[in-house]
Formats: sequence, C-alpha cells, structure tokens
Amino acid sequence: MIKLKYILALLFIFSFVGCSGNSGNWGWYVIDPTTKSGLANIKFLVGGFGATILLSLIAALISIILGLIVALPSFSNNVFFRSLNRIYVEFIRAIPLLPMLFWVFYGLPVIFQSLGLKIQIDAFWGAVITLAISDSAFTAEIYRAGIQSISKGQREAAQTIGLTQYQAMRYVILPQALRRILPPLANQFIYIVKMSAFASVIGMQELTRRANEIVVTEYRPLEIYTLLIFEYLILVLVISFAVRWLERKLGSDESNSN
Amino acid sequence: MKEVIDINNVSKYFGKFKALDSVNLRVMRGQKVVICGPSGSGKSTLVRCINRLEEHDEGDIKVLGNFLTNDRLCLASIKSKVSMVFQQFNLFPHLSVIENLTLGPIKALGISKKEAMERALYFLERVKIPEQAFKKPNLLSGGQQQRVAIARALCLEPEIMLFDEPTSALDPEMIAEVLEVILDLANDGMTMVVVTHEMGFAKKAADKIIFMDEGKILEENIPSNFFKNPKTHRSKKFLDQVLNH
Repeated sequence: MIKLKYILALLFIFSFVGCSGNSGNWGWYVIDPTTKSGLANIKFLVGGFGATILLSLIAALISIILGLIVALPSFSNNVFFRSLNRIYVEFIRAIPLLPMLFWVFYGLPVIFQSLGLKIQIDAFWGAVITLAISDSAFTAEIYRAGIQSISKGQREAAQTIGLTQYQAMRYVILPQALRRILPPLANQFIYIVKMSAFASVIGMQELTRRANEIVVTEYRPLEIYTLLIFEYLILVLVISFAVRWLERKLGSDESNSN
Repeated sequence: MKEVIDINNVSKYFGKFKALDSVNLRVMRGQKVVICGPSGSGKSTLVRCINRLEEHDEGDIKVLGNFLTNDRLCLASIKSKVSMVFQQFNLFPHLSVIENLTLGPIKALGISKKEAMERALYFLERVKIPEQAFKKPNLLSGGQQQRVAIARALCLEPEIMLFDEPTSALDPEMIAEVLEVILDLANDGMTMVVVTHEMGFAKKAADKIIFMDEGKILEENIPSNFFKNPKTHRSKKFLDQVLNH
C-alpha cells in the first residue's frame, strides 16, 4: 500500500507538469477535467465501466452455474460421467482466451447458419459466452476441490440417517463446501474482470475498447492507458474489499460452526 | 427370538487384502453383541457391511429379512432402520444440534418439522443434553457431541444400532458419560452391535462377545466365559493386553 501511495503521488506531480503546458513526455490535457474536450474524453472512457461490469457479472454468473454442472459428474461412480468431467475441464482449460473468443464470435455464427438457425452473436454475448465457458473449467475444479475437502465421514453420516445421494449433497456437503469455495470463486471473478478486456478486439465497447478509440484520435497512449489501468485497479480493489468483507462474515460464521 | 442380522460366509477384499474372511454371525432381536479384537482385525469393516457403507464381496448378509444388494429400494428401507454411531461423531458442523437431529426424520422419513422437533427434543432429553439443542456442535465437548450423534441415530427410530468404536476418540473422563447412555439403551431392549475396547462395558452389557483377528471371527462366547476362559491363544493374549495395560 505504501508503494501505491508513492506511485499515485508521483503521477499527481506529473499531472501538473503535463497540465502546465510545458510539454514534456506527459500530456495530461487529454483527460483534464477542467477542459471541455478533456472532460468529454474522461466521460467517454469511464462510460466503459457499465459494459465491463455487466459483461463480467453475467459471465461469472453463468460460469458459477456451469462450473457446478461440470463438477458434479466427477463424483459419480460411473466412469463415463467422470470422464465427461475430465474431458471438458482438460479441453476447455487448454484453449487460450483470445482464439476461443475469435472462434465463438466469427466461427459459431457460421455453424448456426449452416444448421439453418437464425442466431446472431453480437460482441457482448460473444464475449459473455467465451468468458463463461473458459472460466467454467476453472470453477468446476474449484467446486471439485471444495467438495472433496469435506470429509468422507460427513457423507457416510448423511447416508446412515437415510438421506439419498442428492439429499446428502444438497443439505450436508454443498453447504459446507460453499464456504471453502467462495474465496477462490471470488478470485476467479477478478480474473474474469481482467480478461473481459479481450472483448475489445471484437468491438465490444468496454473500458479497453474505449481507451483504444481515444488513443487513436488523440495520439496520447501513455496518459490514456495509465488511466485505463487505474480504472481496472479501482474495479478490482472494490471487488477485493467486497470479498474480504464476505470472507470475514463467512469466516466468523465458520468459527461458530466447526 | 427372531434373528435380525444373519451374516453368512461373508468375505471382503480391499484390493488384495482380505479384510473379512468367511465371517458368520447371527444377531437376534434385542441382542447386544460386542465385537473386539486388535486394530486391523476387520471389526469396523464388519459393522460397516451391515448397513452397506461397505459392500461385501462374497457370501450374503440378511438384515431384517432382506438380503443386502445394490437394489435401491432394499437399501432405502434398511438405511433408516439400521442406524450408526461413528468414532469421529460425524456431526454436521454447519447445522445446530437440533437441525442435526431433525434432518434425517424430515428428509428421509418425511415427517413434519414439528413432529421431528418434538422427537429430537425427546431424544436429547434421553441423552441428557436438552439444554444444548440450539448450539452448533463445535461448542460441545467430545462426550456431548457423541451423545448428540447417538440421539441423531435414535431420531430415526431404528431397529438396530451399530456403534463403531464410539468412545475411542474421547478423553477418558468423557467415556463414562457416553457408555452410560449406550448402556441405558441396551437395557431398553435395543438390538445393538458395538465395536469397542471397553471391556467393562462388554461385561455389563453384552449378551455375546465376538473376538476377531485378521478378518476372521476366532471366538464367539458369552462374556463371563470369554473373560474367564478365553478359547483361543489369540484372544487370551488380547485380553491380557487390554485388561492389564
């Protein structure tokens, strides 16, 4: 945190150098809120928050549900179901995000077309689908680890009081596993927020895309990308604090119950 | 007397290791059977086969008139009638004591919440900890936790109770309070199979003592004979170690 303060102070000083017009390497005027064009630029850049947040939230939500669906077969006694889980995780995990994004955005519509389906994929949903699927392989592994960490005795006790496998999962295993799963899941959410920047390459108007567009018109990459980084920093810090708060809440709960 | 458990020539393997070797055992309704023997002798495996936590590989096991198979209906009907108490209690840490007790009756037996609560409070009274009903299990002592586990098993109103070393994880001063509860149940006529090293308990409660070693039942005897004149050299040696340590 101390380091961060120094960097912020340094940037603050630089900003005055830039604003004073003695053009050095910095040209903060592009995002100077006291000027009309600077203010317009800032408004445009900050306007990307909504899209980035919405994109990340929906992708994370889908990933959380999809991840659980992918994880559950790994607890089956049936080799076929277990291997379904393994194949999905190994395959999806191996695909880099950018090629997957291209495949979904440019490739998937072609498949839909050839099947006679009139399904359009715009940049937003292309990004959501890609992020959600790519992330689901990781969330699935988080679920698996969390569920496996609950002792075998819990499952046996559930069995001996007459619960079915489903009931044991629903009332005994999952409620306990979720507490352990939440922190890494939240971590995964931060990862999604950062990876959402890739959506810019298919024209999705989120934070990074907007920054790129201003850079092209203003020729001031240093200032604008600096601001962009701080935009992500703020977003991630807010999430981290929220997660800490949640963990503390659950943590105190856990200390009452274990 | 009607027999409720009939184990016939049962063997069980873990990989190549033979955990149970042609075991035969009959338990009549209301009988109290204590199983003892050195660790690794297959005692736990045997009781775990009775409620199908383990699957036996050879022979057959008949519980309450049904052969144990993988048939779901048969398993479901047996599960709620054969309850088990574990060495490690295995209480559900995220639920309060009362919720631990009512979960099975509500979800597995389908009785109303109100009735389940009444039943739970009755059995908590019986194991002498009604005042702990709304606490989380981790706030209780080991002895209290095991008594909650016994109450949880009783809430299903089982016909047979299995105890897998119920006092082995307890501090010495807590063993007595748990054994007292089990003894109380025994005097009430509950059919039970108890794996334990507590020979004092065996003397008081058992109708029959089974001595196991290396997956085999080496001796089946009434307590007075077992303690005075053990039939085999192995059981004699075991008794020496357990009684005179």
